[in-house]
Amino acid sequence: MVAPATLSLRPFATLAPSRAALPRVGAGFALPPAVSCQPRRRRLSLRAVAVDSDQQGSPEPPDQEAKPKKYHFLVANAKFMLDEEEHFQEQLKEKLRLYGEREKEQDFWLVVEPKFLDRFPNITKRLKRPAVALVSTDGNWITFMKLRLDRVLAEQFEAETLEEALASNPVDLKFDKPEKWTAPYPKYEYGWWEPFLPPKSSNGTA
Amino acid sequence: MASSAMELSLLNPAAMRGLSAAKPRVVSSRRIVRFRVASSAAAPPAAKPGTPKKRGKTEIQETLLTPRFYTTDFDEMERLFNAEINKQLNQEEFDALLQEFKTDYNQTHFVRNPEFKAAADKMEGPLRQIFVEFLERSCTAEFSGFLLYKELGRRLKKTNPVVAEIFSLMSRDEARHAGFLNKGLSDFNLALDLGFLTKARKYTFFKPQVHLLRDLPVGEDWVLEDENRHGDFFSALLKAQPQFLNDWKAKLWSRFFCLSVYVTMYLNDCQRTTFYEGIGLDTKEFDMHVIIETNRTTARIFPAVLDVENPEFKRKLDRMVEINKKIIAIGESDDIPLVKNLKRIPHVAALVSEIIAAYLMPPIESGSVDFAEFEPQLVY
Repeated sequence: MVAPATLSLRPFATLAPSRAALPRVGAGFALPPAVSCQPRRRRLSLRAVAVDSDQQGSPEPPDQEAKPKKYHFLVANAKFMLDEEEHFQEQLKEKLRLYGEREKEQDFWLVVEPKFLDRFPNITKRLKRPAVALVSTDGNWITFMKLRLDRVLAEQFEAETLEEALASNPVDLKFDKPEKWTAPYPKYEYGWWEPFLPPKSSNGTA
Repeated sequence: MASSAMELSLLNPAAMRGLSAAKPRVVSSRRIVRFRVASSAAAPPAAKPGTPKKRGKTEIQETLLTPRFYTTDFDEMERLFNAEINKQLNQEEFDALLQEFKTDYNQTHFVRNPEFKAAADKMEGPLRQIFVEFLERSCTAEFSGFLLYKELGRRLKKTNPVVAEIFSLMSRDEARHAGFLNKGLSDFNLALDLGFLTKARKYTFFKPQVHLLRDLPVGEDWVLEDENRHGDFFSALLKAQPQFLNDWKAKLWSRFFCLSVYVTMYLNDCQRTTFYEGIGLDTKEFDMHVIIETNRTTARIFPAVLDVENPEFKRKLDRMVEINKKIIAIGESDDIPLVKNLKRIPHVAALVSEIIAAYLMPPIESGSVDFAEFEPQLVY
């Protein structure tokens, strides 16, 4: 006995999948939606799905604003982040090199005296200034970096644009040189962090 | 574990370009270095009757400072990392760590170029011998790590798949390091017989909590990013076991581990000043730099650390070096063993008293900010 066919109400937008959403086979050949690679099943099990009217999908108007993006950050004083922390520069440099090799877009930045700190009074009252934040859209990586650096404060925020997220206040950074340097490698050059600063347009001073 | 040396070459072969797999090789022009240990659990396989002994094998002396092969209580490890039993495991941290290990930043870094061989050919005399010993010790330590992590990765698969996979990826790193170092030895016409090591070397048992404490990024590989990531992993494991971190016993143990690592390294390296001077370093200055940096890193997890930046700490280490020199000189003298032992007694007593004095120096309260009891002292 065949189960009675029931109507499944779904948002309109899902009826016509975009080309990008279709499974790809071979060199750019996309299967039409009706074709299935799965073996046919004898029994038809269809469910009726009740959908609220406000869930009914309607094509989004093209001028609708993009959703704000989530940014994760770690923050500490500039002396710790840029001058004292032995492996920090190596890690960032290594990550940037890897992104270059794998043609991945940069998703992490260093922000000196970020403007977004104003949103976090609980953090600013515990922070020695000037402060430096490591900001990324990759929350997993920030969790890892928190584990590595430990002596940092972590939070997250949303911003409409990258410029807004990475805006900073102008500040002069000065670090005293150590009296005696015993390591078999030179101390990191002042300004090593510049390749990791946000693009010029997102600097609050621009 | 007999096939572990073979597994070295199977771990991510694409990543091991330019890297000889660290499997045992017998090449006529090379001498295979074997570690023969009288008290080993499994005796080395006896040569078949009628087969000529391979020539030129060198026996390496097992001493207190020699890298060991470590094993642990795997059942207890399973209990420690069982998320149902241990509710404090921070899964977010482990997921983040797993992603970082999978990224494998150093995949293409272990590639040797012709300069390696050229540099080896230039080395002569005592410097060459000391450098070979350094490679042998490092290779043994890395291979030991590979075996332990591989086994932990296998044992923890059901208990905690994420932690198990991290252990497996760490064994990949250690295998790569051991293979790279063994390839370095081939520049000196040497090769460690890693398959033999697996079977014949004595395994030193350590309780899991001791493993967690001693596997933080301290020791010879402190500068490698791979090893730093391993340290991050052990930090996360320790944070999930606050019972190992938040009582007076943990503070005493932490100081003990730090001191044992620092003293061992300092005494070891001061016996090999030729090596460090040969590569343009002041041994004592360099060691103090390593100790200070290691101590700062360690302070991010251990509840108490030594005050290594206090000048008195270095003075104590230097006194230990002088005493140790006298003990070594007695050992090299022509006296009969009984006389040697009698002569050693006052020096050993002096060394022990210096170690105790260093241990009893006022420590520095420390630990992860996630435990935050001491946060007012911190300046972010």
